[in-house]
Amino acid sequence: MASLQRVFGKNSAYWLIGPAAVWLAIFFLFPMLSLLTTSLSDPAGSPIYGYDLTWRLQNYFEAISDYWPYMVRSLIYAGIATLLCLVLGYVLAYAIAFKAGRWKNVMLVLVIAPFFTSFLVRTLSWKLILADNGWLVESLQWLHILGEDGRLLATPFAVVMGLTYNFLPFMILPLYTSLEKIDPRLNEAAADLYSSPWQRFTKVIWPLSIPGVVGGTLLTFIPASGDYINSDLLGNPNTQMVGNKIQTLFTDASDYPHAAALSVILMVLIVGMVLFYVRRAGTEDLL
Amino acid sequence: MSLADGVRGDLKLTGLHKRYPNGFVAVQSLDLVIPQGSFFALLGPSGCGKTTTLRMVAGLEDVTKGSIHIGEQDITTAKPYKRPVNTVFQNYALFPHLTIAENVAFGPKRRGVKDPKGSVKEILALTELTEQANKKPAQLSGGQQQRVALARALINRPDVLLLDEPLGALDLKLRRAMQIELKRIQEEVGLTFVHVTHDQEEAMTMADTVAVMNEGRIEQLGAPYELYTNPHTTFVANFLGRTNLIKGTVLGREGSGADEVVKVDMHGTVASIKASRVHTDAKEGWVGIRPEKVLIQPEGQAIDAPGAALSGAVVVDVSYIGVSTDYVLRMPWGQEITCFEQNTGRRGGLIPVGTKVDVSWRPEFAFLLDSAQDAEAGIVEED
Amino acid sequence: MSEVPQEEEQKKGVSRRGLIIGGGVAAAGVAGFALLNRGGGGNAAGDCVTTDLSDTEATLNMSNWPEYVDEDDGDYVSTLTTFEQETGIDVTYTPDVNDNVEFFAKVRNQLGACQPTGRDMFVLTDWMAARMIDAGWIQKLDKANIPNVDKNLISSLQGVGWDPNREYSAPWQSGFTGIAYNKSLVGEVATMDELLTRSDLKGKITLLTEMRDTMGLMLLAEGADPANFTSDQWGNALEKLSKARTDGQVRAFTGNEYVNDLAAGNIAACVAWSGDVAAAEDENLVFLPPEEGMMIWSDNMIVPVQGMHKTNAEKLIDFYYDPVQAAKLAAYVWYVCPVEGAQAEMEKIDPSLVDNPLIFPTADFLASTHNFMALSEADAAKYEQEFADVIG
Repeated sequence: MASLQRVFGKNSAYWLIGPAAVWLAIFFLFPMLSLLTTSLSDPAGSPIYGYDLTWRLQNYFEAISDYWPYMVRSLIYAGIATLLCLVLGYVLAYAIAFKAGRWKNVMLVLVIAPFFTSFLVRTLSWKLILADNGWLVESLQWLHILGEDGRLLATPFAVVMGLTYNFLPFMILPLYTSLEKIDPRLNEAAADLYSSPWQRFTKVIWPLSIPGVVGGTLLTFIPASGDYINSDLLGNPNTQMVGNKIQTLFTDASDYPHAAALSVILMVLIVGMVLFYVRRAGTEDLL
Repeated sequence: MSLADGVRGDLKLTGLHKRYPNGFVAVQSLDLVIPQGSFFALLGPSGCGKTTTLRMVAGLEDVTKGSIHIGEQDITTAKPYKRPVNTVFQNYALFPHLTIAENVAFGPKRRGVKDPKGSVKEILALTELTEQANKKPAQLSGGQQQRVALARALINRPDVLLLDEPLGALDLKLRRAMQIELKRIQEEVGLTFVHVTHDQEEAMTMADTVAVMNEGRIEQLGAPYELYTNPHTTFVANFLGRTNLIKGTVLGREGSGADEVVKVDMHGTVASIKASRVHTDAKEGWVGIRPEKVLIQPEGQAIDAPGAALSGAVVVDVSYIGVSTDYVLRMPWGQEITCFEQNTGRRGGLIPVGTKVDVSWRPEFAFLLDSAQDAEAGIVEED
Repeated sequence: MSEVPQEEEQKKGVSRRGLIIGGGVAAAGVAGFALLNRGGGGNAAGDCVTTDLSDTEATLNMSNWPEYVDEDDGDYVSTLTTFEQETGIDVTYTPDVNDNVEFFAKVRNQLGACQPTGRDMFVLTDWMAARMIDAGWIQKLDKANIPNVDKNLISSLQGVGWDPNREYSAPWQSGFTGIAYNKSLVGEVATMDELLTRSDLKGKITLLTEMRDTMGLMLLAEGADPANFTSDQWGNALEKLSKARTDGQVRAFTGNEYVNDLAAGNIAACVAWSGDVAAAEDENLVFLPPEEGMMIWSDNMIVPVQGMHKTNAEKLIDFYYDPVQAAKLAAYVWYVCPVEGAQAEMEKIDPSLVDNPLIFPTADFLASTHNFMALSEADAAKYEQEFADVIG
């Protein structure tokens, strides 16, 4: 603030902050209030005639007791997907940062290339790849990796795979940024100081890449745990995540209060987990 | 405190050769023995292969041909982390996420030392870093970081400590101080130090032995005094300080044994050069003389030198530096030579520009180099 | 709200007082927001009807289900193009109704707040059309502008319970809900019980997210009448569905997209709408009525109160009630044609379809079909929630 004032004069700092503040007020605060209001309303109302705000906290308890398995499933799927993204993304980001040489930029463009097509289309194309009569399933059956009746589509595997695929770039980019900042001579210094390749990784590269790991896992885990597209397109009714449940409650069941309560719970849960995680990782300054 | 215990041995490089995949040959058939416990400097301009040599010793660069031994142990292909060698990196490469104490304890921990606290304390005291033990590298000054890098390597009591331009990032004053400091520490711990630098003054101040490298080869190896006063090539002559090189024709030899001299005609004046300082067999040669060995006197006044005086030189430039004065003289044949004169006060002033002067030097200071060599080789661009 | 402060309280640096103030501000915000945002429904509707701009703007925005209209193809000129040529009205036809409730969620906020949805006409299934008319969100049609409807609407669809005089709606097509299977993958699937329990179909079937379609067939399989069932019967049917789902028999609950999965072999059988299967033009796909009976329904053209081109919409309705156009459409989409006289016209287009009961059902055929009970708003909400809990 002080420096802004110095540059732009006494009141202009407010002008500079203004547009973003207004934007947030309209597109964050307002929907949040709407969500909170709905979540505390009487579910006896209907989407047509509206809901009465009765400060009904039971909505929250009911949402938890009825839908906790979806919550747990979401966290598990998102957790596995995040872990897979971390392993795959780390190797790739490491390769790009230290081994890619002049191909660095090309590889980075390839990493973000999927963003040039829509999320939905990319996920739908996986339906084709994983289809029961598709080449992939048939090859795996031929190799006896999958049984005769085995399938990939509409399984938890497909959902986790879809999540991993869709959120991988969000893992790679922060990892790359933080790996790229590491002086390669630190690796040499560690080698010089009696570190085996594995020790070089665990004692030097990994600790120095923690900011990227934290950023990447957050950017992957948060949207993955709220995602419903992957489960919707690649899963089955028994792989539904909390996002699907919220969607069903809003659309099919027209039960807005419980849907809103579930959304708020998910949000609070994720914020809580993120705070805990970031604290443990000692990277508060990231937030 | 002495870290050098037990039998170690000399560092021996035999036919060491490095060729990069792109075809560039950085080091050509290098043979070198660095005695245990010595402070050895590899001196040369950038790209001369000195750093590549160092990295091959450290194991950070593969050896194309040749071998590296420490004592009897062949470490040519050993993994870097299995060599009894440690490096002080240019810009130090300190681990930014670790405290100073943790940085220093890094090596011992990897080697399985259970509780390195004692030795860490000791080495931090040696390098005057006790106060900084719990700080992170970023909180330290350049000189302190340099000492951390040193401590981090020294604590491992390596057979050979490699220093890659360790003082390059420091300002001049600090660099001077650290030169003395490094020398002190080396004497205290008694380990073999191999110091890579492009700074001839730094190499000469610190090292027992200096190897001057150029284009992947060693041009000359020896004690600093020997290298400076009796360079074998124009490159060494120029790279280690400044030199006047005057074209001369060899007339013949006189005397024998230690008194043998070679007579050289320089544009009509005959000079005598000790045979041990003659490094060419050709008819032509460069007569080399360091500027501070050049004596001048206004025409007609006596010069305190037994050799033949060159007359007819004119002072074209005078730079008064305080402790000394630099004169640029134009010789009768057009060449300009330099003379550094100590301001002892005897002259009682400066010789003004335009004064005709006689030029001479004590014959034992001149040397004769191969005239086929470039007179400009090894001249360092002022940066 | 209550969770937030509890968690936050344990943090350093956030004072209890700050939290109380923060909580108070949030609560005040919620209360204020609720006041601003009250109601939204029905009562406001009467005075919400917008001015008709049809005189000055020759456009029409229409939302319909996917695969529900014929398309230009080579020399073939579609009914929609014919309409545009004849009337000069530019029709923006969007197939964005995949599911009644989903579409409802899309437009409810605007309709409730008396805001335009950008659409002049929707095509929605009976019960949803009924719900919207009941909410006062739908404009009355001007009978004078749609003489063909009065003249040609088949008798079985005249005067439905929710719109006795067809003042608000006109059927687009009717259809049946039954079973479809891919005969290249499995043998005939004759009943809902087979569909839900046969082991060769495990993980290979889909059901519809439309509660009335799926549950209608489930109730029939239960021996109940979908038009008049008890809550016990509902409970049993739902129980059976839930079991099939938990057992992994059901691969997904879907909207219109099941056809692709059926053709691709990702599913072997499903609950399906009659016309979709025929329109897929895949000889392996078979639609059949389950032995216990089928559901029948209609999708209806309705004009929302904020639809700004009502007269244009009426022109389109009247156009499609011309037997010539109706036959042409029916021959393409293979759904039940609601237009009298279309059967005679079909003779000229494709004689093989004249006696197809899926397009021109006979009285006998219709006897085996069932409607879903009209539900009160409260019952509908209850059943929909229970159904949603099972499928999602």
